[in-house]
Amino acid sequence: MATKQASTAGSGDADAAGQQQQRRKVIELEEGWKEMVVGCKKLERILAAEEGVGFSSVEYMHLYTTIYNMCTEKAPNNYSEQLYDRYPEVLEDYISKTVLPSIKEKHGEFLIRELDQRWKDHKIMVRWLSRFFHYLERVFIPRRRLPSLKETGWNCFRDLVFNAHKTTVTTIVTGMVDEEREGQIIDRTLLKNVLDIYVELGNDMKLYQEDFVVAFLKGTADYYSKKSQAWILEDTCPEYMMKAEEYLQKEKERVKHYLHSSTEEKLMEVAQRELLAKHTDQILKKLLFDDKVEDLSRMFRLFSRIDGLAPVSKVFKEHVNEQGMSLVQQAIDAAISKKSEKKDVVSMLELDFVRKILELHDKNYAYVTGCFQNHKEFHKALREAFEVVCSKDVAGCTSAELFASYCDSILRKGGIVKLSDEAIEENLDTVVKLITYIRDKDLFFEFHRLVKKLGRRLLFEKVGNEEHERSMLSKLKQNFGEQFTSKMEGMLTDITETKGEQCKYEAYIEAHLGSNPWVDLSVTVLRTGHWPTYRTCEINLPYEMAALLLLFNDSERLSYSEIVTQLKLTDDDTVRVLHSLSCAKYKILNKEPSNRTISPNDVFEFNSKFTDRMCRIKVQLPPSDEKKKVIDDVNTDRKFAIDASLVRIMKSRKISTHHNLVAECVEQLSRMFRPDVKMIKRRIEDLITREYLERDKDAVNSYRYLA
Amino acid sequence: MLIYKLGKGSREKVQQFMTITGASEKVALQALKASDWHLEGAFDFFYSQPQISAANTRRLEEMYNKYKEPDADMIMVEGVSQLCNDLHVDPQDIVMLVISWHMKAATMCEFTRQEFIGGLQSIGVDSIEKLREKLPSLRAELKDDHKFREIYNFTFNWAREKGQKSLSLETAIGMWQLLFAERQWPLLDHWCEFLQVRHNKTISRDTWTQLLEFVKSIDPQLSNYDEEGAWPYLIDEFVEYLIENGFVQRK
Repeated sequence: MATKQASTAGSGDADAAGQQQQRRKVIELEEGWKEMVVGCKKLERILAAEEGVGFSSVEYMHLYTTIYNMCTEKAPNNYSEQLYDRYPEVLEDYISKTVLPSIKEKHGEFLIRELDQRWKDHKIMVRWLSRFFHYLERVFIPRRRLPSLKETGWNCFRDLVFNAHKTTVTTIVTGMVDEEREGQIIDRTLLKNVLDIYVELGNDMKLYQEDFVVAFLKGTADYYSKKSQAWILEDTCPEYMMKAEEYLQKEKERVKHYLHSSTEEKLMEVAQRELLAKHTDQILKKLLFDDKVEDLSRMFRLFSRIDGLAPVSKVFKEHVNEQGMSLVQQAIDAAISKKSEKKDVVSMLELDFVRKILELHDKNYAYVTGCFQNHKEFHKALREAFEVVCSKDVAGCTSAELFASYCDSILRKGGIVKLSDEAIEENLDTVVKLITYIRDKDLFFEFHRLVKKLGRRLLFEKVGNEEHERSMLSKLKQNFGEQFTSKMEGMLTDITETKGEQCKYEAYIEAHLGSNPWVDLSVTVLRTGHWPTYRTCEINLPYEMAALLLLFNDSERLSYSEIVTQLKLTDDDTVRVLHSLSCAKYKILNKEPSNRTISPNDVFEFNSKFTDRMCRIKVQLPPSDEKKKVIDDVNTDRKFAIDASLVRIMKSRKISTHHNLVAECVEQLSRMFRPDVKMIKRRIEDLITREYLERDKDAVNSYRYLA
Repeated sequence: MLIYKLGKGSREKVQQFMTITGASEKVALQALKASDWHLEGAFDFFYSQPQISAANTRRLEEMYNKYKEPDADMIMVEGVSQLCNDLHVDPQDIVMLVISWHMKAATMCEFTRQEFIGGLQSIGVDSIEKLREKLPSLRAELKDDHKFREIYNFTFNWAREKGQKSLSLETAIGMWQLLFAERQWPLLDHWCEFLQVRHNKTISRDTWTQLLEFVKSIDPQLSNYDEEGAWPYLIDEFVEYLIENGFVQRK
C-alpha cells in the first residue's frame, strides 16, 4: 500500500518530467521549412556580396536547432527524410534562377570566369547549408548510407551547371592555351582554377581525363603538327632544333602552372612525337655535321627523349663513311696521276692520306665523346664506318701497310713527318685506335716489325726516340695482347743491351789500346726469333764506298750535294767514290745524266737490277717483293694459327659438326684476323690426312677427334 | 680338346667324320661340337661352310705355285696376266678388282701366298674352272650397295704406289672410270676433266671416300648440294667449276 502510493507519487513526477519534454513544441515541416528559407535567402544575399550581410551566432544557432528538432522528434513528426530531399532543392533552385542565366549570357574567357566565380559561391553555399543541416549527417545519412551533404551539394553543381557547359569550357581553355603558345599572356590562375573544377568534381580524375585531357592532347597534336610542318620548310636544322627544345620546355612549365601533374607525361609524349618523331628523316636530311657542337648536342638531347637515336646514329655513320671514302678516293686518284713520278712523291701522298684519316677520326671521335655523350650507339656507328674505310686499298697498299709506314715516318729520325713529342704520342694513340678497325690486324704487326719499319729503324740507328718506340709497343700490347708485341719488344731490348755492351767495349779498348784502334768495330746483337730474316749484302768494298751505299738505305735517290753533306768527305773523295760505283765496271748506282763524269748536278739512284755472275754480290730484292714476303709470311702464320685453333676445339669437344667447328674457329681467331672459310676447310682436310681428326661414320658432316 | 680325352663314342664319331669328309681332326671336332655330337648335324655344318678339305688346300697350293714368280714367294704381273688368260678375262676387267678385294690384296698386281689362298678360300673355289664359273656372281657383288662401298674404299689403298699416302691422279681417274662404269654417274666425265685441268695433283683418301658419298647422295643437278657442308674443298671447287661452265644451273 505504501509502495503503491509511492509509485503513484513517482509517476506523478514522471509525468511532470514528460510534460516538460513534451513541452518542446513540435515543429511542423512547413513551419520549420519557412525558417530555413529565410536563412537561405540571406545566404543568397551574402553570395551576391551585399555589404554588411552576415549570419550572427544566434541566427546560425536557430537554424541549426530547427533542423535538429525536426530530426529528433518521434514519428510522425520526424522529418529527416523530407529535409534531406529538400536540401538539394534549395541549391537547384538557386542554380536555375541565378547561376545558369548568368553563365548563359557570357562567352569565351568571360564565361569561364563567371563559372569560376559561381563555383566558388556554390562551395560556400554548400558549406553553410551543410552546417545548418548538419544533424542529418549524425544519424539519418549514416543509417541510410546516403551521400553526404557535401557530395549531394556538389553534385547539383556538376549535374546542372558543369555538365551542361563542359564541352564549351574545354574548348575555351584549349583555345587559351594555344594563345599562350603563340606568345600571348593569359590568366594562368583562372585556368588553374577552372581545371581544378574538373578535378574536384570528377570522381577519381575521370572527369578531368575524359572531358579535358583527351581534347587537350588532340589540340596539342594539331597545334604542333601545323607548327612543325611550317618550321621544317623554313628553318635550318639548328634553328628547328632550338625551337623544338624551347617549345617543349614551355610545355613542361605549363604543367606546373595550371595543368594537373598527371598530364605531364602524355603531354610531352604528344609534343615530342609531333615535333621530332614524325620528322626525323627530314630533320636528319638537313643535318650538316659542320654545325656547331651545341647544335649536335641539342639534337642528341632531343632525340634521346623520344628514344630515336638509331636514325641519328645512322646518319652520323653515313656521314663519317662518306668523308672517309672521299679521302680514299682522293688518294687513289692522286696516286694514279702521280704514278709516273718518283716514288718519294707517292709515299708523301700516302702519308698525307693517313694523316687526314687520323684527323677525320679524331674529329668524329670528339663528337662521340662530347655531343653524343659517349653513347654506345655512336661509338658503334663510328667503328662501323671506319671498318669500311680501312678495308679499302690505296695505291695497291692495304691500310695495314699504310699505317705501318706512317708510324715509321713519325718514329724514325729524319723522317718525312716531323712532330713534337706530344703530337707523336697523340698520333700513335689514334693509330692504335684505327688498327682495331682493320680486319687483318696481324698484317699490320708484320709490316710494323719488318725490314722497312722497326727492324730497319733499329738496325740503322734511325730511332728518333726510344721512349716513343716503347710507348707504341705498350699501347699495342694493351690493346691487342702480347702475342705480336713480344718479338718487337725483344728487338728493342737487343739493341739496348747491345748499346750497353758497345759502350763497355769502347771503354775497354780506350783503356787498353789507347784511342787509336786499328779497327773501328761496332757490333749489333740480334737474338734469333725476334728479327725477321734479312737478305744480306756481301760486297767487298773499301770503307768509303760502303758508307756511301749505306746512305741509300733511306732514300732510293740522292743528289750529289746530299751525298757530300751526309758523307762528310772532301769533294775529291766523293767524286772518286761515286765514279767507282756508277761509272765503272759494276754499276751499283745509276747516274743521271748517264755520262761518265761526276758533276755537282748529278743525281744517283740505287741500281736494284744489278746482278753479276762474277762477283759474290747478292742484291737486295726490290721492295715490292718485300711486301709479298710479308703477305706470304702472314698467310703461313695464319695456317698454323688455324690448325692450332681447330685441334684445340676438337680436343675439348671430341665430336663436332662441320658448321660448329668452323664457326668456333672463326670466333677464336677473329681478334687478330678474319680467317677465310675456304682456308679453314682445307686445314681440316689436312688435319684429316695427318690423322688428327676423322669424319664421323655415324653422323654426316661431323668430325671426331683422334687422340 | 685332345681326342684322347673324349669318350669312346665320341672318338668313333670323329674317326667316321674324318673318313667320310676327308677333313682334318681339328675340323671334325669343330663340326661335331657345333652339332652337339650328332653326326648328321655335323655333316650339314661342314658342308654349309665354304670349308675346303685337306685335299682342297693342296690343290690351292698347286694353283699358287703355278702362278707365282720363280724366284720370289709372290704372284706378280706375269702371273696375274697368266691368271687372267686362264680365266678368259681382260686384266682391266673389274672382276679382277673384286677378286683382289676378296684376297685383301695389299697392292695392285701382286698377291702373296696368304692373300691368294685365303682369297680363293673365302670365295669358295679351289680350281680355275670353279673360279671361272664364279665370275658372274662376283661381278654381281658390285650391285650390292654395301659391298660396292667396301670395294670402292678398298680400291684406294690397293691402287696406291707402295709407300705413298695418296693416289696418283692418273690411277685415280682410271679407277673411277672403271668403278663408275658399273654405277652410272653422269658427272663422271666432268669430274675427270676438272681434275686434269684444275687440280693436277694427287688425290687424298678423304677426297676419295667423300666422292662416293657425293655420287650417292647429290643429284646430278646439284639441287641438294650444301656448300656450307663438310665436303672436301676439291668437291666444292668441282661444283664451282660445273656452275662456271654452265654444266649445271646456279640455284
